[in-house]
Amino acid sequence: MANHSHNTALLEETPVILPGHDFETVTETIAEIPLSKRFPLGWIGVLLIGVGLAGMLHMALGYLLLKGIGIWGNNVPVGWAFDIINFVWWIGIGHAGTLISAILLLFKQQWRMSISRFAEAMTIFAVACAAIFPVFHTGRPWLAAYWLFPYPNAMGLWPQFKSPLIWDVFAVSTYATVSIVFWYIGMIPDMATLRDRAVSRVKATIYGMLSLGWRGSARHWHRYEVASLILAGLSTPLVLSVHTVVSFDFAVSVIPGWHATIFPPYFVAGAIYAGFAMVLTLAIPVRRFYGMESLITMRHIDNMAKITLATGLMVGYGYGVEAFFAWYSGSPHERFMMWNRMFGPYAWSYWTLIAINVVMIQLLWLKSVRQNNGLLFVMSLFIGIGMWLERFVIIVTSLNRDFIPASWGMYYPTQWDFMTFFGTIGLFLTLFLLFLRFVPMISIFEVKMLLPQSKVKHDHVH
Amino acid sequence: MSTVTSETFAAGGSPLPGMKQFGLMAGVLGVVLIGAGFMTSSLDRFYQAYLVAYTFWMGVALGSLALLMVQHLTGGAWGVVLRRPLEAAVRTIPFMAVLFLPIVFGMHSLYEWTHESAASDPVLVLKAGYLNTPFFLVRQAIYFVLWSGMGYLLTSWSLEHDRTGDPALVDKMARLSGAGLVIYFLSVTFAMVDWTMSVNPHWFSTIWGMLYIGGQALSAFAFGITVLVMLSQTAPLNRVLSTHHFHDLGKFLFAFLMMWAYLSFSQFLIIWSANLPEEIPHYLVRWDNSWKYLSAFIVVGHFIVPYSLLLSRDLKKNSAKLRVVAIWIILARIADYYWHVAPEFHKDGFSFSVFDVALPLALGGIFISIFVSQLAGRSLLPVNDAGLEKALTHHVH
Repeated sequence: MANHSHNTALLEETPVILPGHDFETVTETIAEIPLSKRFPLGWIGVLLIGVGLAGMLHMALGYLLLKGIGIWGNNVPVGWAFDIINFVWWIGIGHAGTLISAILLLFKQQWRMSISRFAEAMTIFAVACAAIFPVFHTGRPWLAAYWLFPYPNAMGLWPQFKSPLIWDVFAVSTYATVSIVFWYIGMIPDMATLRDRAVSRVKATIYGMLSLGWRGSARHWHRYEVASLILAGLSTPLVLSVHTVVSFDFAVSVIPGWHATIFPPYFVAGAIYAGFAMVLTLAIPVRRFYGMESLITMRHIDNMAKITLATGLMVGYGYGVEAFFAWYSGSPHERFMMWNRMFGPYAWSYWTLIAINVVMIQLLWLKSVRQNNGLLFVMSLFIGIGMWLERFVIIVTSLNRDFIPASWGMYYPTQWDFMTFFGTIGLFLTLFLLFLRFVPMISIFEVKMLLPQSKVKHDHVH
Repeated sequence: MSTVTSETFAAGGSPLPGMKQFGLMAGVLGVVLIGAGFMTSSLDRFYQAYLVAYTFWMGVALGSLALLMVQHLTGGAWGVVLRRPLEAAVRTIPFMAVLFLPIVFGMHSLYEWTHESAASDPVLVLKAGYLNTPFFLVRQAIYFVLWSGMGYLLTSWSLEHDRTGDPALVDKMARLSGAGLVIYFLSVTFAMVDWTMSVNPHWFSTIWGMLYIGGQALSAFAFGITVLVMLSQTAPLNRVLSTHHFHDLGKFLFAFLMMWAYLSFSQFLIIWSANLPEEIPHYLVRWDNSWKYLSAFIVVGHFIVPYSLLLSRDLKKNSAKLRVVAIWIILARIADYYWHVAPEFHKDGFSFSVFDVALPLALGGIFISIFVSQLAGRSLLPVNDAGLEKALTHHVH
């Protein structure tokens, strides 16, 4: 915690955005990007990579529909593999957006304002990528709705309500809905700003429709504030509930390595950890590329790095507790599972995971590391890998050697597994780049509230 | 506000006269009841009740230690106004360490793994590397040294900061708190395996540590709110504590109550669903006989009732009502720990002993008396804290 907070209160007085901005410059800096006619070369380049990978996703999924999920590496005993690993990985990443926009809003953390918009966008795109995996794992996704959603049918057939998989359907669809509504409502005042500043008729019309007739009257603002608070209240339990339900997918089973009561809080911490790392992965290049260093400041980066450290330590606690209780249980199955994880055929994945999520993140205690953008960016990528490996370890090493040695087997992903996974990264990148280009990536009006000019002087009131 | 000195908010020789009296009365009544208990119950029952009472009151002190460290890291008005009560609770830890001795004497009554027969139990043999008397005692010594040491450093730096206002001390406290929370999480997890999980040495649950960490934070908040409400009724704090402070604290109480429910329910759902023979007895013992009334009470009294009450904003802003809920939560917390421990010794059903009331009272009386004496002599607010002015006027924004 080197020099972590010289003085908490002093820190709070430090402006969240750098001095030198006024209402006009904030609007210009942010609104100029969606309104300009320019498509920067760098943006086009990265978009092409994204679109290329997304094209690969289409190929992989198209072939899957043609041939069935036999093209994946899933087998017996590893019946669940890349599909659920990637699902959990993406869903987890989304959590940081919800935490920033909901919980930090309720806690009146003003620094959230510069990063909430694109963290929310990240949430929605991550959920979209996540949803692909379970839906296509059903093999015939056009039937998925028919299987998953309970409706009173003539056959009297219902989904198994005791199965966490069906809770997942509810949890994730609620999560996606609330996140989209929250994100969109938060954008309405800014859409109106774009409408008012747009020079071209087409842009003015499109942003005008998206702004839903916002005029910025006091009544509009009042309703807006009420709606934000209600949505924040609705989103807050979702931060916990979604990954809790995801953890139940594993924990309510009887598989050693899955069945552990620590799973709900441990998964939630892991989700926030991975999510903040992803926000760092995105924020560090974006603020540099778009010259947003005065709006997304080192204070944001520092705060996010601290949350990453705190949640990462909780994840490390989870690993420690799992290992200790596997031994303490005295159960041969639990003990063997942990031995297999540490020294079995997939030991490399376990120790890489420990090296990243337990050892490497200790660097974040140092302020010099938290202030080093390049290093932080590389670390955030590693955390992404580490959290992917965590799910790989939980899923594959728990399944590949089950209760009966005769049924043991190895799991190897196929090229289609990799194409689908990297394809979703491409889809995410594409959606995110489109967002950066066509929507104000930072909330204009919220950042204005951080300016000294917007502060009403209360000191003289009483 | 620029003229604030440690005199402004001096606690005086005896703050909280009412609470001091209550502590004494509870202590005396507890001791009398213990006497009555020995006439009607066995020594085993004394130790069982002692473990419950000790786990709860030590939990208030440890939860206060954790909250103290959290507020050093995060800041915020709640931390400024609650800091001195938290520190006083933390300074009870060395005294509470001495009170651990009866548990050492009662190990044979409490822990089956200390019996000779454990050597022939196929599961306990596998755990003997951890569950053995010498290692248990070494661990307890380590816990108490760590807890007392961290508490001592944090509270003495804080006192020095009152005198000197040296900003380097704020930095030191924050740094120790960062590392200290890691130590707290690990030490409390293992301590709770030792104290309460190992009363049934065959059973295990990986969330147990978190359940206690969340529970200790809830206990500490409930206790801290109770104290702060009493302090707010007289000078000097009646001038500065407002409904807004209590509203904030009430929200934290509500949040930690939900966290307790979340952790408890997660454990229940996972164990119930899997229905494994090594785990499910924990709930069968608590549901298949008269313990189920206590189980139902925990759900209603520890969650549904306080949850419904704390939903109300008016209640959170009304310090007198908030205190009633806080005291209710304290009682429910004791019932929860009783529910963790007692059914393991009385698997046939609910069984009551005078000790079950006497010991929470006696240990509570001792804890409260030490707490009040530790609260005296210092300023009731950290007068040199840079966030003090903001904390006291924080209703402005």
